Amino acid sequence: MVSTDPQIWIAAFLTIAATSYAFRDNIVFKFAENTYIGVAAGHLVIMGIKNIRDYGWAHLAQGEFIYAVVFLLGILLYARYHGEYYWLYRYPIAFLVGNGIGISIRAAIHSDFTVQIAATATPLIASDAMGTINNLIMFVGVITALSHFIFTYEGIHQGALGWSPKIGRWMILLALGASFGNTVMTRFGMYQGRVIFLLREWLQIIK
Amino acid sequence: MVDYRRDIPLAITFIIGVIAVLDYYTTFESISNTFTVIKNWGVVLQAFALGLGAINLLRVHGRRISEKRDGWYFSVWLLAMMFIFIIVGLMTGKYEAGATYSWLYNAIYLPLGATMYSSLAFYMAYGSYKVLRARNFEAGLLFITAVLVIIGNTPIFPAMFPSLFSLREWIFGPIVGGAYRGIRIGVGMGAVVLGIRTLVGLETGYLGRR
Amino acid sequence: MTLVLISMIIPALNPLGLPLMVGSMSKAWYNTIDEAPEGSVILFDIGFGSGGYPSLGPGTIAAFHQMFENGHKIIMMATALEGSMMYPLIMASVKPEQNYDAVYGEDWMFFGYIAGGQTAMAGILGDIRALTSTDFEGNDVDTLPIMDGVNSADDFDIVAYVTTSGDTSEGWVYQAYSQYNRPVLGGMLSMMTTSMKPYYDTGQILGLMDGIKGAADLEFLTGHPGDAIISSDILSFSQTLVLIFIALGNIAYWMQKKGGS
Repeated sequence: MVSTDPQIWIAAFLTIAATSYAFRDNIVFKFAENTYIGVAAGHLVIMGIKNIRDYGWAHLAQGEFIYAVVFLLGILLYARYHGEYYWLYRYPIAFLVGNGIGISIRAAIHSDFTVQIAATATPLIASDAMGTINNLIMFVGVITALSHFIFTYEGIHQGALGWSPKIGRWMILLALGASFGNTVMTRFGMYQGRVIFLLREWLQIIK
Repeated sequence: MVDYRRDIPLAITFIIGVIAVLDYYTTFESISNTFTVIKNWGVVLQAFALGLGAINLLRVHGRRISEKRDGWYFSVWLLAMMFIFIIVGLMTGKYEAGATYSWLYNAIYLPLGATMYSSLAFYMAYGSYKVLRARNFEAGLLFITAVLVIIGNTPIFPAMFPSLFSLREWIFGPIVGGAYRGIRIGVGMGAVVLGIRTLVGLETGYLGRR
Repeated sequence: MTLVLISMIIPALNPLGLPLMVGSMSKAWYNTIDEAPEGSVILFDIGFGSGGYPSLGPGTIAAFHQMFENGHKIIMMATALEGSMMYPLIMASVKPEQNYDAVYGEDWMFFGYIAGGQTAMAGILGDIRALTSTDFEGNDVDTLPIMDGVNSADDFDIVAYVTTSGDTSEGWVYQAYSQYNRPVLGGMLSMMTTSMKPYYDTGQILGLMDGIKGAADLEFLTGHPGDAIISSDILSFSQTLVLIFIALGNIAYWMQKKGGS
């Protein structure tokens, strides 16, 4: 009937402990919460060390001695905890920030801007009435939603022009409602997995 | 006079960022080769950065234990769990692939991770009662699509009335597609502007305290 | 809270077996894999961990079933910290050696977790051997037949990912589609679908597996029913309860307003 595997029992206890917060804050939940933070940090360290070995040390061992610079920069990251030499951590941070920004903005201009605008600037008339209506709604949605976020020109929120950001606000609210509906499904979809685990793996009352 | 504490990091950010952008827009082999090295260094540096969280926890909870503040015993347990995972992971040399580590992960981390995120489901139910109310026209707009999408996502209703699913699909078509495309263009513009400002040194928040 | 729990336990004990209506975005994912020529090389990112496993795990398992059935080669990696812990769980369900006579190193391989997010993506798509020379188990990649002739983005026919992170989701569009024009398939939590929809509408993502619904669709389309289809019944009850709460909340509000005025 009930599982005799200690791993399943520990997992079941921790699942119930973590769920107990929904009823009331309690010591069992605090225990589960602190366990989670601790193991997450431990896992971070393990993955960090493994990545340093596989993607850093492996290169050094193959004779790419320039990687010594990366190791130095990596160690300098921890200088932030030093009272006097904390500013040394700015060098590796600058590297990471420059790398991260460069990698993301170069493609964002294409994916988030050019492609999106090009897709909007297409013929509105489709082969059927419903298609045309959908194209119109989408076009109006894009233009008005964009106008809602213009804050540098105050005139767009006043007078006759003011209808555009207003309609944009309505379109965004409609879309956010859909997003809320999906969020409900996300959360319930996540918890159902725990319910299935408790009933199937732990109590073994479903297949 | 060059301030080696601020100007050099700003210059590093600029140079690295420009090389990354040039790699995308040009086909010079020298740029491509340089950026390949930068990318690979970035992976190693990010790996080094993963340890910062553990150090922070050690400092915060170490202080809590030494000062015997409220709940200090939880801090002892937290650090103990952290070190158990680190020691077990390093012990066999197999890191996360080791059998004992996997066992501990499946017994402790997996159920906690899965439950912590998903227990928000209870708050969604409570929030739906308290918050999702058609108080006025605009709240009503959010309310109507939320309800229609929830109905469309609930399998029992489309099973009885298939058109409810088609309605849900339609809402995700022109309405969500149109509004979110506008949001996406705005967000993309904002991200690019912020990125350029950071690269040229107008945004220096990442450098921390003066 | 108790009502919510009861609404989840009852359908789990007594499943209704309701018919499933497949969404267009999941169908597009399924069709993309189905129409790809046999032997296509797919780069797959396991971008979720324990938090996403209940809703995304079943979909990933169904996706792998379809890929192995169609004879595709899968090169896996993980941009999520726990991704390398999800890998054994997923493969224990798919059982490729048993079910498809697949061989590790020939039909699939796994790089493990690579730190860096978009940096890792750019590294793998740029030059794999400049980034690393070993797989998750320490094998030299040049000894794995699946890696013959595979070194960068041009050698991948499809890039697919399943993730709980918005950054990862956008990152693959930026790195795989924008830079290298690779076909991209995206799997993510349902609540992320709305923000990723613009990429799907513009063809930057060819198919979307949206959370537990998308996972159930894929299980149904691939003929491998699993936890996502079981969850459909649970969702029927629990979301109906939410609708009842919404109705009660609004009735209470309007009655209070009417009483007040």
